[in-house]
Amino acid sequence: MSKPTDLVQGTLDLLILKTVALEPMHGWAIAHRIHQMSSEVLQVGQSALYPALHKLEQQGWIEAEWKISETNRRAKYYSLTPAGRKALTAEAANWERLSGAISAIVRTG
Amino acid sequence: MSRWFTQFRLTLRSVFNRECVDRELDEEFQDHLQREIEERLKSGLEPEAARYAALRAIGAIAKSKEESRDARRVNFIDDVLRDLRYSSRSMRRSPGFAALAVLIMALGIGANTAVFSVVNAVLLRPLSYRDPDRIVTLSTRVTKTDSTQASLDEQISIPNFQDWHDQSSSFEAMAYYNGREIPATAGATAEYARGTQVGPEFFQVFDVEPVLGHFFTTEEGKPGSGGAAMISYAYWQSHFAADPRALGQTIRIYGRPMPIVGVLPPGFRFPDDTDLWVPRNISPEDMKYRGGQNWLAVGRLKPGVPLESAQAEMTIIARRLEQQYPDANKDRTVGIKRLRDKMVGDIRLTLYLLLSAVSLVLLIACANTATLLLGKATARTREVAMRAALGASRGRIVRQLITESFLLALLAGASGLLLAYWGSAALVALAPAGLPRLTEVGVDRWVLAFTVGVSILTSLLFGLVPAMYASKIDLNEALKQSAAKSVIGGGIIRMRGLLVVGEIAMAVMLLSGSALLIKSFIALHRVALGFRPENVLVMRATIPAAGTPATAKFFQDLLPKVRRTPGVLSAGATMAPPGHIESSGGYFVDHLPPQPDWTSAPNVVLSVVAPGTLAALAIPLKAGRDFSEADTAERPLVALVNESLVQRSFPGQNPIGRTVFCPYDTLQGMTIIGVTGDVRQSGPAGEPMPECYMTYRQHPFNGNTLSIVARTAADPNTLIATLRRLAQETSPDVPMKFTTMDAMLSENVAAPRFRTLLLGIFAGLAVCLAMAGVYGVMAFAVTQRSNEIGLRMALGASSGSVLRLILRQGLICASLGLALGLAAAVAGTRLLTSMLFQVQPNDPWVYLAVAVLLGVVTLLASYVPARRAARIDPLTALRQE
Repeated sequence: MSKPTDLVQGTLDLLILKTVALEPMHGWAIAHRIHQMSSEVLQVGQSALYPALHKLEQQGWIEAEWKISETNRRAKYYSLTPAGRKALTAEAANWERLSGAISAIVRTG
Repeated sequence: MSRWFTQFRLTLRSVFNRECVDRELDEEFQDHLQREIEERLKSGLEPEAARYAALRAIGAIAKSKEESRDARRVNFIDDVLRDLRYSSRSMRRSPGFAALAVLIMALGIGANTAVFSVVNAVLLRPLSYRDPDRIVTLSTRVTKTDSTQASLDEQISIPNFQDWHDQSSSFEAMAYYNGREIPATAGATAEYARGTQVGPEFFQVFDVEPVLGHFFTTEEGKPGSGGAAMISYAYWQSHFAADPRALGQTIRIYGRPMPIVGVLPPGFRFPDDTDLWVPRNISPEDMKYRGGQNWLAVGRLKPGVPLESAQAEMTIIARRLEQQYPDANKDRTVGIKRLRDKMVGDIRLTLYLLLSAVSLVLLIACANTATLLLGKATARTREVAMRAALGASRGRIVRQLITESFLLALLAGASGLLLAYWGSAALVALAPAGLPRLTEVGVDRWVLAFTVGVSILTSLLFGLVPAMYASKIDLNEALKQSAAKSVIGGGIIRMRGLLVVGEIAMAVMLLSGSALLIKSFIALHRVALGFRPENVLVMRATIPAAGTPATAKFFQDLLPKVRRTPGVLSAGATMAPPGHIESSGGYFVDHLPPQPDWTSAPNVVLSVVAPGTLAALAIPLKAGRDFSEADTAERPLVALVNESLVQRSFPGQNPIGRTVFCPYDTLQGMTIIGVTGDVRQSGPAGEPMPECYMTYRQHPFNGNTLSIVARTAADPNTLIATLRRLAQETSPDVPMKFTTMDAMLSENVAAPRFRTLLLGIFAGLAVCLAMAGVYGVMAFAVTQRSNEIGLRMALGASSGSVLRLILRQGLICASLGLALGLAAAVAGTRLLTSMLFQVQPNDPWVYLAVAVLLGVVTLLASYVPARRAARIDPLTALRQE
């Protein structure tokens, strides 16, 4: 039920940052990993994924490198920059605060 | 930092290496698709079905690519580049229009840049000393606001200085100094040079090092020592050809030989273009008279000490000194100011006035360009509508039009900079001599930044309104119009009308301010000075103290020769020709109290003159007699007083034969032998003050610098050579300098002339621009309405009524603008009050004249298009439909 457009603005950025924080990854793997890690709840389509990746690269939070992938094809691998690591910490804290607040309200109902 | 660099690199790559970036994007998407297919193959789908399912799952690839590209901001930059290309094409298509717009804006931007370059050099740029913000001036400040005491303000006495110096802890160094024109002989002839006597810590205050030699030793400063002099770099070059052997050579200053011990670095001329500095250490004699305020003082604050705390400390010290020495320091305290603020003084107001005037001119130029662009927007309605119809968003169209304005403004800024380059040179040439730091005026990076900033700002100002209008065009209407006759709603005409009203209003403001200054300037010239300045040659000469007996009698010997010279009608000599006050102090009449309180005594201007001076300057003698050569030092002291002094101290009485006491060089009473008319001693703008004249033979020592004033039958300048020869024959050791009374007076009013002239120029420019605006709008309206006018005339309207119809429109603009402008002017010109002489800022005649002038000019500007309207041939006009 969770289409990517339903993701709160900026949440996708957070998910991407968190995912590439583990290791450099190419676009498809990032989408795949998010899908897996969210127990198959979140599905990120390329229509949202790639603009977000390019935006984050433009912002200097992630950087890209062409490598030969496990399937022996050229793929663009994204990894976190130091600025991106800082942004991730800030975004994550922000998300904790926000989701905590929302949960608190929803539960009191 | 590296992050910005990364972004910049990525952007550059996206823009200039577009194909590569696009290829990578393709490859990335292809890879994604491939993996989706593989995923589905693994789950057992047929290859064809897997491919189909994958494609369906990932949706529209083209759109995602476009969004990814957007995320890289490629499109934005592409658009800007395209807009720039498009703009330069459209400017080349109508070069006349572009040239006109660039010219108007270049005038505005150039004038602003020129004025700003002066403001920048004089007011904003720090002084070129080390840590200039730590350098301050210290001065005596009279706490009681009594105008007769005002001239005692600023200067300080040595005993007070010594106490400030010893008791304060805020200063790293503090020094007194006193600069004047002094007779100096470096070669064969005596000449005047700017010389300054300085206290021991003077050069520490400025933290300079000599380029050659050393600063004064304590020994050199002591009275009775051989003396010493430091010379400026410029003097070293002009008088010693920059020869290092200048050290040890001597300069005769006041006839005394002084060895040169050092040369200061280039650019150091403090104060007032000083050439020679001589040491002046405090002698016991100096400590006697605490009331003698003959010095100025500067200090260097210790690092980190704010001005306020230094001021607080000095205020406490001053209060203590006031209690300790009430006879000299009653109602006196110490004022501390940053040196720059002090140097800039009252010129600040004039410069800010000019800066605001010139920004009004710029606003008018903007409004003018905006009306031009609005007119052009009309012509381009179809083009814009077509672009909108083809899918350009409103934002894109506005951005395209703004880019055009921006390009226009940049061109104007570049030409304006060129204009400013000449303009600031002209400003410097016009500026009053007293304007400090003029040599520093020029185009530096701040001026450049200012020009660029102003250009960008103006492009928004004049570009935004037309762009907003153009983007609001009704597509259907615009595209339906025939190409020949594109019509614009009343909106644009109204907008242009409003802009013109604004232009007129601003022109009225400038014109009112300028008219007030002109009226005041005329009043300055018409004021009764109390003497006749025309055809008076002024020859300033100084007898060096240590001269031959012939030199000592220089003026006594020279004056009769001058009087006998053909072409000289009468001649005298005075310590201070009218226009500036050389000396002033308190005075008493009839008898001197045993303990005179000079600080609260009425103030009097003190003048030493030779007999015949009154006649030479045509100062009327109201009663009694003038001095004569028989009033010598051996005879009883005599004095002349002016009518102001008589009114103040002898109202309704005969002052002749009474006694006056002035602390000039003696406290002996002087018998009043005559009464003179009042002279405006401090120039045309200052009211006459009480004055006491003394004769030069009874006050010889202080009369060693006198200005010979000779009234001539014809142009006084023709006699300069003759008088120079006579003076050199009398004594070769005496330096002299020639000018005329008219030239001195003109220097007196140099500051008002400067601002009057400039404001006048700006007002003229404003009126011209506003009139061009009126003309443009009316001409445009006539073209737009030619059908309607043709129809009216076909239906029987006379050409007279058409004329009136159009003129009425012009008049409405003019009266709205006038009303607005006059209201703003009445409010704004209050700020001019301190610059006005015998003119009130709400002078009704000035505003009436401004209103009439602008009314007439506006009518003229609308008359030309109105006549064209009246001559429209109804047939032609209607056939155009």
